[in-house]
Amino acid sequence: MIIRMNRVRVLGPRGLLDPVLAALQDSGVVHLAAPALGDQVQRVSLTEKEARQARYLRALVHDVETLPVPPRTERPGEADYPGSGPADPGEFARWAREAGRTRRRLAALDKEAGELEAERSDLARFQQFVTAFRGLLPRGDGGMQSYHLVLRGEEVQAVSRLRAALSAVLGEQFALEVADLPSGERAALLLVPTSEASRVEGLLARSGIHELPLPAGLPGNVLGAGSTALADRRERLDQGLAELARRRQELLQAAEPNLARAGAAAQYRLLELGAREQAGATPRSFILEGWVPAAARDRVTRALSRRFGADIAVEDVGKEEWHGEEAPVILTNPRLFRPFETLTRMVPLPRYGTIDPTPFMAVFFPMFFGLIMGDIGYGAVLALLAGVLHVRSRPGTTVRAVAEILGPCAAFAIAFGVGFGELFGDLGRRWIGLRPLVLDRERALLPFLGLTVAIGFVHVTLGLVLGVINAGRGHPRQAVGRGAALAMVLFVAVALLAGVQVLPRSFFTPAIVALLLAFPIMVIAEGIIAPIEFLSTLSNMLSYGRIMALGTASVMMAVVANRMAGTFGGVFVGVLFGLLFHLVNFALAIFAPAIHGLRLHYVEFFGKFYSPGGQEYHPLGHWRPASTEPPLPAKGTR
Amino acid sequence: MNTFWIAVSAAAAIGIPALATGWAQSRIGPAVAAALAEKPELSTTAILLVAIPETLAILGFVVAVMILSRGG
Repeated sequence: MIIRMNRVRVLGPRGLLDPVLAALQDSGVVHLAAPALGDQVQRVSLTEKEARQARYLRALVHDVETLPVPPRTERPGEADYPGSGPADPGEFARWAREAGRTRRRLAALDKEAGELEAERSDLARFQQFVTAFRGLLPRGDGGMQSYHLVLRGEEVQAVSRLRAALSAVLGEQFALEVADLPSGERAALLLVPTSEASRVEGLLARSGIHELPLPAGLPGNVLGAGSTALADRRERLDQGLAELARRRQELLQAAEPNLARAGAAAQYRLLELGAREQAGATPRSFILEGWVPAAARDRVTRALSRRFGADIAVEDVGKEEWHGEEAPVILTNPRLFRPFETLTRMVPLPRYGTIDPTPFMAVFFPMFFGLIMGDIGYGAVLALLAGVLHVRSRPGTTVRAVAEILGPCAAFAIAFGVGFGELFGDLGRRWIGLRPLVLDRERALLPFLGLTVAIGFVHVTLGLVLGVINAGRGHPRQAVGRGAALAMVLFVAVALLAGVQVLPRSFFTPAIVALLLAFPIMVIAEGIIAPIEFLSTLSNMLSYGRIMALGTASVMMAVVANRMAGTFGGVFVGVLFGLLFHLVNFALAIFAPAIHGLRLHYVEFFGKFYSPGGQEYHPLGHWRPASTEPPLPAKGTR
Repeated sequence: MNTFWIAVSAAAAIGIPALATGWAQSRIGPAVAAALAEKPELSTTAILLVAIPETLAILGFVVAVMILSRGG
């Protein structure tokens, strides 16, 4: 159901605006709304200084939130997010400086780590080169200059040209060795006398061959010493990187408490400034309006009276002054139904004053799911999955809600599995002699289709009834039209049942006459579009036939999986394929009922009564990080 | 001959709607993907939009079953 709300108005001298807002923030249950403005009452706007502060604080929040602070292992306590801003506004500047300092130090550490990483990468590449030309690399200077070349693609052809050019210039005073590297590249080592280095470099530049640079921090004369020097350097690089990672971690851990406080205080102040913009004011007084859950209204007024006495006035805004659509919506349902609010929230919230569909979803969604899955084995696996998700999730999270939705779905799947006599398809029948109690989904296709369309009739008719109730709360003409459509659906059903002699044949004519009488009433009340909607209502009922189609497909796939054991060559291969097929079928058996169950609700069922457009309830309160947000509605509102 | 035409009718009853569903989803899919790139909060609507044409295939399946059960 949707919680009843009161709209309250608080009036007082202008000087009390900030203390009153602080009191409302303490109460944590008032959803502020802009009061009616006019010539006398103007919206409170921020001063230039406050607007500048707001911009500054948003930048601070961005700085704090984008720093890669490690998540805490324990949940933050109340003391970490005090219920008031900083005593000294200068604190913000200090925190901003600290955030900036942390960011700069972090950037410097990251830059240094990046350079070491790049050198390590070069070193790994050079290691391949050294291994390929082991024994050829010069030890020390020795009057020889070495060039380390890497050849790619068409450059490979350039080696012969380079060799020819070198022969022309140096005669036989050079050595050029070529080898393939494990990376797939081709490497070349060129040794020339140091005195010829400048001429050779000119040749290399003209040939366009890429020279592999020596890794930074590695002197050229160490190459001949083999891979020991490279290994030493790599070890020093690893140590350097580990040291940088440790310093980075320490820096972030040291900064985290202050940064968290800075972020919280900045958010708190931004909330205060945002709330002030919701107020209206005259030169001497202020007006605040907001929505309060009816059950919390007295608590809020008592708290304000205790704190401000007769200096302020609190009054209810009469219903004639506001429309239902303006009120924020809080859904509240019994514990068992509450997880299904997640499904309701997947579409826009229902408007205030209309019907919350959550309880109906909580009953019908698991039923549809169970009808499609309808297997004891799959249901048991699903129950196990739901249990694991439940244990591994925290209360209030989406994963916990999913686990709590899957639980009833699994229960219905097992119950219908007993009714259909299915345990992993026909395995139960073949192994333990399980027999269908209600119907055999493999064979009784038409009875199953009839059952699902009958369920569709009940579901859609329920939707029409809810539509009449919804319309009756303010649109009597619409209620009459929807009532006539509902009556016509019932008359059609009676006529059909009488036609096939499920009901006495004598019911047929009165039902047709009543149908003809209801038709003009529906058209007059709802307009010329009503007959088309009536026909679509009938087709909506047929749409529930998908439950039969998906259910039959599910059981057939399970049967095919069971027959794989005997189809493939060996028993082991057959069983393996069968298990894999069951796994695929199980995944489909979760996905298809969920999607189509939701579709049947959102399209066929909600279409008959649902009025979207409700506002989310966002009470003014103390800022908390999302993970510590108290569950809505606040204490005392239920 | 009669059995042949029953089988062909049932195949057409499921095959043609399945092709139509595939065609419809091929048009809806890219549009939905583009919409999701800009507004990820539309994911529920997106899933429903893709699932809506499946009604054709499912009803085709139901009709095929009815043809087979009545004719066979």
